[in-house]
Formats: sequence, structure tokens, C-alpha cells
Amino acid sequence: MSEALVTLNGIGKQYGATAALHDVSFALERGQFIALVGMSGGGKSTILRLIAQLEQPTAGSITYADPNLVTRVMFQNDRLLPWMTTLENISFASHDKAQQAKAQAALEAVDLAAFADAYPSQLSGGQKQRLALARAMMADPQLLLLDEPLGALDALTRRNMQQFITEICDRSHLTTLLITHDVDEAARMADRVIVVKSGTNVYEAKGAKGKDAEAVAKVADEVLKVILAPEDEAARV
Amino acid sequence: MDNATELAANQPRPHGASWHRLLPWLIPVLLIGTWQVAVNAGWLNSNLLPSPWSVVQDGIALTQTGELPRNISISLFRATAGFAIGGSLGFVLGLANGLSKVMRGLFDTTIQMLRNIPHLSLIPLVIILLGIGETAKISLVSVGVMFPIYINTYHGITSVDPELLEMGKAYGLSKRALLTKIIFPGALPTILVGVRYALGVMWTTLIVAETISSNSGIGYMATNAQEFMNMDTVLLCIVIYALLGKLSDIIAKALESLCLEWQKKGRTQ
Repeated sequence: MSEALVTLNGIGKQYGATAALHDVSFALERGQFIALVGMSGGGKSTILRLIAQLEQPTAGSITYADPNLVTRVMFQNDRLLPWMTTLENISFASHDKAQQAKAQAALEAVDLAAFADAYPSQLSGGQKQRLALARAMMADPQLLLLDEPLGALDALTRRNMQQFITEICDRSHLTTLLITHDVDEAARMADRVIVVKSGTNVYEAKGAKGKDAEAVAKVADEVLKVILAPEDEAARV
Repeated sequence: MDNATELAANQPRPHGASWHRLLPWLIPVLLIGTWQVAVNAGWLNSNLLPSPWSVVQDGIALTQTGELPRNISISLFRATAGFAIGGSLGFVLGLANGLSKVMRGLFDTTIQMLRNIPHLSLIPLVIILLGIGETAKISLVSVGVMFPIYINTYHGITSVDPELLEMGKAYGLSKRALLTKIIFPGALPTILVGVRYALGVMWTTLIVAETISSNSGIGYMATNAQEFMNMDTVLLCIVIYALLGKLSDIIAKALESLCLEWQKKGRTQ
């Protein structure tokens, strides 16, 4: 078993009287691609936001193996800055020559070098998400958090992007956490698939990353059964 | 799909694009032409409403004596000074109140109350406090300009997409970088709308300010001409104000084009 990069212990998150999360415990192991799946409102994105330290848990603790862990988030909407060009969006308009060169290389890695001077409004949905990914990769993160980044894309672009993200993450040996409500996507991309239901993690399956369609469908089926099962039938990890 | 940008850029310009440039001037030219014809034909009393050509001749005469350029220069100075002072004040207050809850709590209510006082009704107070010199005129213009820029700066800052701010924080941007790379550029379209509106207020305020015991400026010229029933000069001043207003608008649009190139490029897609 690899070293745990991030460990969640008994995490809870309360918003007023509403308990969005309770008793969430799992670890993100170094180099793994983990998918969190579940119905909308189940708490998946809240878990990601806590790991990203965009919010703080109201119970439990999150431990990071490295206190200086570089984490980057890719959101569902690209959150590109409309007033910056493609190249500037990656480097946040830094004038540092080394950063500019790195940004240019990042653009080439995502096949957007020809659009360096274009604005985000001139790009397609898939191009925008590739740009958002390139921006996330600029800081050489150790942990990449993907909050339903492909949700707004059409089916074909989505499949292409799934493959693209998997290749980039594998090449960089990135620890990656993907939030998705698409069980096929989770099964296809991840080493581990964790089901989040009613604010807690209830089940974990081995993902079918790199395997054939039949294996993907089998994992997707298994996970879907847990998601759709009545509350009292869900098996806890 | 990757070639969509190239395809859009290579589209031939539509026919009649040069005709579209003349379109905004069609109505003014028609109006002036009709007016000239009406005066020439005797349908309009030229003592009450001189012809456009008569107004132009008056303008030439006043230019030759130096009176017109001198008064335009003085008006431009007052307008620019008032805009610079009022605009700066409005911008700084809008920025501070937009960024800081404490500042907002301290100042916004007071500013909102003052904003609703018609600034021209402050003329008697301005005269008592500041006299009838340049300070009073420039102060009035400043007050008029300050509020549209304050409101739009404040609104622009507080309306910046919170998701973009969150992205900036998640990407480790410092407070200064958040301000310069996200907040200010995000607020800029709204701020520039305020600038455009303020430029209009600047001229309307100046017209009135220059009637306060003034002996120079376009407003003074108009008031003086009115007392002597010199309708040529009265109309000339109105035309000059219209042209200066149009010039201000051109400058504002040029500023928008320069600063908001990204919006324009998005619209052409």
C-alpha cells in the first residue's frame, strides 16, 4: 500500500442545522486516481472543498503528509479569467520569463499553442477545460482535485477529455481525486471508486482504469447498485 | 472545432460596412439640412432661430477674435479638473467600500444620503462656502462626477464573480494579486460605464456652474449672449456642448476599446 498523501478522519461539516457530512474517513494514497461518486447533494463536492482547504471541517481532522503540499483544483466551470489571453490565464499574466516559457510548454502539452493569444470566449468548451487543466498543472501539484470538470461537455468531448486527463495524471504520477456523478466515468478513470451517500462514504470498489469496456461496466454496475440501494442496505467500507 | 477561431477571422467583411459608419450622422445631417432649408424659405424666423450657416459664421468670427478658443479652453480646464478630482475621490471611496466591510459600514450610508441630494441644489451652499471663483465651479463639477463613479466602482467591485475569487484563492494568489488580476479587471467594465455617465454629468454641471457670476467659459458665453438676444452665439454654445459631449463619448469608447478588448473579441465570435 502506498503512503497516504491525505488522510480524512471522522470528517463532519455542518451548515447551520444541516449536517452536510458526517464521519467521513478515507485516505488518498500517493500516485492513485480516486473517484468519489454519488447522487447530487450527497456531499462529494463538500469533501473536495475541505481537502482543498476552501472550507474547514466542523468535526474530525484532515492530515496532509506534506505540510507544503501543492494542491490544485479544477472546477466544473472552467473559471478562466475572461480578460486574460490563453497564455496569460496559465501564468496569471506573470512577467517572469521562466514562468512564461513554462506556460508556453503547458499550452503545447494540451494542444492549445495555436491559441496562445486567444481569449477564453473564443475557445470551445473542451478547449477551455484543457486550458483549465494546463493552468492547474503549472504549479507541478502533488494533488489534483477535479470537481466534476467534464459535466458541461458533450459526450464525445467528455470521452476525449477523460482519456486526456488520465494520460496527464499518469505521466505526472499525480494523486488525483475526481468528483463525478457519472459512474462509468469513475470506473473508467479511477484506481478506486468511493461511493458517497447522505454525507458519508458508504462503499469502496476497485476501479477499472486501463481495463476493457466489460470490466468498466462491471464496476459501474456494482457502484450504481450501491448508490441506488435504500439507505439501510448500503454497506460501509 | 479547433479551427473555429481561424474560420471566424477569415470571414469577408459584410457589404455596406462603410455605409454603417455614416449611419450615426444621418439624422443630425438631415435635421441641420431641414433647419437650413426652413430658414432660407422663411418658414422659421431667423431672429429667433438663426440658420446653421449663420451659427457657423458666428463661430468663425469668435474664433478669429480668440474669444471662442479662450472660453473653450477655460471650460475644458474646469471640466477636466473637476472630473479628475471627483472621479478620483469616487473611485477611491468605491474601491475602499467595495473591498472593506468596515469602510462600507462607516461610509456607505452617508454617501448614499449625500448622493440623493441634487448636486445643483448645492449651488447656494457652494457659493457661501467657496465663493464664486474657480474653486466653486470645479467643486460643483467634482461633486457631480463623484457619485456615478463611486456607485459603479462599488457595484463593480462587489459584483466580481465570487467563483473567480475562489479560484484565485485556491491558486494561492496574494491579496494584492487578487486585486490586480481578478477584482479590478472584473470590475472594470462597470467602472467604465460609470466614467461614461460621469462625463455626461460633467458637462451638464459645468453649464450651470459657469452661470455663477462667471466671466469666462462656454456657459458664460451662452448666458451673456442670451442677455443680448444674440441667438447665433446661444446656438453656437449649444452645438459646442453637443460636440464636446460627443468627444467625451468618443474618448470613453476608446478607453473601453483599449481596456476591454477581451469583451469585443468575444462578441465577434
